[in-house]
Amino acid sequence: MTVSSNSMPGASEKKAPSRSSRFWAWLIFILSAAYFLVPLGATFYWSLKAEKDILGFEAYKRLFADSNFLPAFSQSVVNAAAAIFLSLLIIVPTAYWVTLRLPKLRPVVEFITLLPFVIPAVVLVFGLIRLYSRPPLLWTATYESSRVLLICVYAALSFPYMFRSVDNGLRAIDVRSLTEAAQSLGANWVTILFRVIFPNLRVALLSGALLTFAIVIGELTIALYMAQHTLGPYMADLTRSKVYEPSAMAIVSFSVTWMAMGVIQLITGGQGQATGGH
Amino acid sequence: MAYLTLSGISKQFSDSYVVKDFSLEIEKGEFVSFLGPSGCGKTTTLRMVAGFESPTTGNITLDGVDITDSPPNKRNVGMIFQSYALFPNMTVAQNVAFGLRVRRETASNIKQRVEEMISLIHLEEHAHKFPYQLSGGQQRRVSLARALAIQPHVLLLDEPLSALDAKIRVSLRSEIRAIQRKLGITAIFVTHDQEEALSISDRIVVMNAGLIEQVGTPFEVYNFPQTQFVANFVGSLNNAAAEVLDPARGLLNLDGIQLITASDIQSKKKGDKVRISVRPERFSFADVQRKDNVLDCTIENITFLGSVVRIQVKIGNTKFNMDTFNNPFLELPKIGDREQVSCSKEAVLVLDE
Amino acid sequence: MGTVNTKPKSTNETEGGAKRPPRSQIGSWLGVLPFFVFSGLFLIGPTLVLAYRSLEADGGGFTLGNYRQLVNETVINSYAMSIRISLTTAILGGIIGFLIAWAVSIGGLSRPFRTITTTFSGVASNFAGVPLASAFVFTLGRVGAITALFKLLGFDLYDSGFTLYSFFGLTLVYLYFQIPLMVLVILPAVDGLKRDWREAAENLGATSFQYWRYVALPVLMPSILGTMILLFGNSFGAHATAYALTGGLFTLATLLIGQQISGDVLNNPGLGYAVAMGMVIIMGVSILIYSVLQRRSERWLR
Repeated sequence: MTVSSNSMPGASEKKAPSRSSRFWAWLIFILSAAYFLVPLGATFYWSLKAEKDILGFEAYKRLFADSNFLPAFSQSVVNAAAAIFLSLLIIVPTAYWVTLRLPKLRPVVEFITLLPFVIPAVVLVFGLIRLYSRPPLLWTATYESSRVLLICVYAALSFPYMFRSVDNGLRAIDVRSLTEAAQSLGANWVTILFRVIFPNLRVALLSGALLTFAIVIGELTIALYMAQHTLGPYMADLTRSKVYEPSAMAIVSFSVTWMAMGVIQLITGGQGQATGGH
Repeated sequence: MAYLTLSGISKQFSDSYVVKDFSLEIEKGEFVSFLGPSGCGKTTTLRMVAGFESPTTGNITLDGVDITDSPPNKRNVGMIFQSYALFPNMTVAQNVAFGLRVRRETASNIKQRVEEMISLIHLEEHAHKFPYQLSGGQQRRVSLARALAIQPHVLLLDEPLSALDAKIRVSLRSEIRAIQRKLGITAIFVTHDQEEALSISDRIVVMNAGLIEQVGTPFEVYNFPQTQFVANFVGSLNNAAAEVLDPARGLLNLDGIQLITASDIQSKKKGDKVRISVRPERFSFADVQRKDNVLDCTIENITFLGSVVRIQVKIGNTKFNMDTFNNPFLELPKIGDREQVSCSKEAVLVLDE
Repeated sequence: MGTVNTKPKSTNETEGGAKRPPRSQIGSWLGVLPFFVFSGLFLIGPTLVLAYRSLEADGGGFTLGNYRQLVNETVINSYAMSIRISLTTAILGGIIGFLIAWAVSIGGLSRPFRTITTTFSGVASNFAGVPLASAFVFTLGRVGAITALFKLLGFDLYDSGFTLYSFFGLTLVYLYFQIPLMVLVILPAVDGLKRDWREAAENLGATSFQYWRYVALPVLMPSILGTMILLFGNSFGAHATAYALTGGLFTLATLLIGQQISGDVLNNPGLGYAVAMGMVIIMGVSILIYSVLQRRSERWLR
């Protein structure tokens, strides 16, 4: 028999969009691609021009050789990692208990996780300085103590991303049944959390962490006014003092963001999340 | 000439056929069901009538006009979607009015027609609600009213009763049928549920793997299935392997027991292997005078199904189900009892594979 | 709340004794406590301090004077510029982002283009601040590549009045993160348009235009408007990009607050707090409208 029995919804699903709609789709795509790629191309081109008359990676060499670059970069990486760790430590139990035992708290928690969008970074740092730079709550006395404060603030700023990521993850695995199943088999809650919930949340946790990393790594505003020598303020200085290095820096920074987002895309299969708040 | 004619319709996706050589004539006011398992091409055929798919070959004419290539919005064919496809931003009344609005009917015409339609489906109190405020059954009725408001030449229903409670399904299907009769509208109804098709249709088109297996009234399709597929798909059926003893007299051999069939097996030879099919309700406990086949059996199992009692019997080495209507005075045999069952020769079907 | 306590736990209740709250419930509250402490210390506390100070008179006591002084040329100008840029980038970014979402969702581009678009949008919506400002300086700054290209063609952008350090320039830069944010937020809504709606409309006699006019756009409108408001807030609160581009000297509400932190440029600390609180209020209102509209659209697109 020549007749196939493959299900026809699959086969007839796509009614091809009309030719004119495809033309407009392509036009929009190409124009916007141009808008988004030209600045990157121009920056990359500049980053290759540091040496007279030849294209090369001189600007990158100079950037990496700059004695301030590596300390700023590593400080930012450590800050980001610490903020992610803190954020996970706080958000995972919160999301878990809000899902399982304290559903009444959900609206409150969701409201609070919206705050980083409501309070602009520059306003937040303004308030932080007014609150913590004099007794009785002196927190910014030394560089190191300010740094701890910065990390805590970053962790708080990551709450919206982290909470949504973990919450979606918990919804996807039906955490209630898993927990009840584990309980009925005699597990206590530590075992449940570490042996049952965490392994099933790997993707959600990782994507929340990477998103936080991408946002925190080059953060400028808060670090600037708290006088921290991290990557953001370093990059801002660089644009004022150097000609070619900023282009190399922009490309490096773009690549880091791209990598974080690429990994999220890979592990979540395209369910990456919207962000906001610059 | 028939009102709606599909002649030689085929639909090909890449190199496989989803529908092949589909020809059918539908009279004005007729209610026709396309019945078959999922993937048999029934929905694709319906979508070709609506104009959402165009046939690879073949023609569709409606009231004498060839509509094969006319766009869906010019056909005036009403469709009820499986997902109801109500517009979520519009109230019930606005949904029903939509087709008239895009036709630029006058406001008073629209108002009158919408009221008429909404009273037809008995949703007067809900006219200003949004679809998400309605139950599944109510949403189906709105989509019916919306499709009927444009006074379509043909009404197409794509599994309109799926995912509803059993009770609502039954009441809604009689409501659909009543409205269809009242308006005298031609309708095509796609379903995979044989009971639904049998209860609602003037004629049933049984489809399998893109091909028409049989076209006939519910009575014909159920009682005189022409193929093994139709017999199995419509109603329940006992199947068994048998051997031809005497083609001329219709004698068969089932595990050493002689059976007589009314099916035409003249073309077979003695010793040929055939499959026989018997519907469970065609068996009864022996009524020796009248029945052509009287068979010894052992009671294997008894299942109480409410209105029907299903008794599994073993005839030779083959197990058969027989259905008996329930009544409070029914005397049932016990498991392991030896009994005799009988059936007429018309009940024993020998069908093409 | 008591789901875990359904099994009889007689050990917790001594005969005739007072009921103690079940242990597990205290445990749950301990589990969420750090979240509230953290939010209080690092999000709510700092904002409340500003709110308190903005309402505090010079010698102590309550006053609304600081808010009255918001009607002041410097403050008005920076708010006006912030609102202009935010409105422009929200509307433009919203429209362009929607068109892109349409193109990759139902416009007929093949699957890989969609994946590229969403991944890139994830990157670009986070590609703000110094690197973004640099990229545009190297493109459209005085010595940028495109500026140079125009010069080669005999046209001097900067002589004709264009500058990157203006309303127009900043708009162009902000769109770089506004458009992708729109794409990311609106794409699920565009995907939520059911094929059946289009077919039902066609079946009832509607043209493609009528389908968009009466069904698709009205269904998407809450999402589109809501996301545009989100974009408005996103741009309104943006500081780093403008700071990096202009050195913090442009007339913009966020930059004004930045200057106020570094040194009291308004010569009135109380006014500075009021300016900051004004931003919080505007942002709060826009996020509120956004969530209301988003909820409505979810109900439709479910």
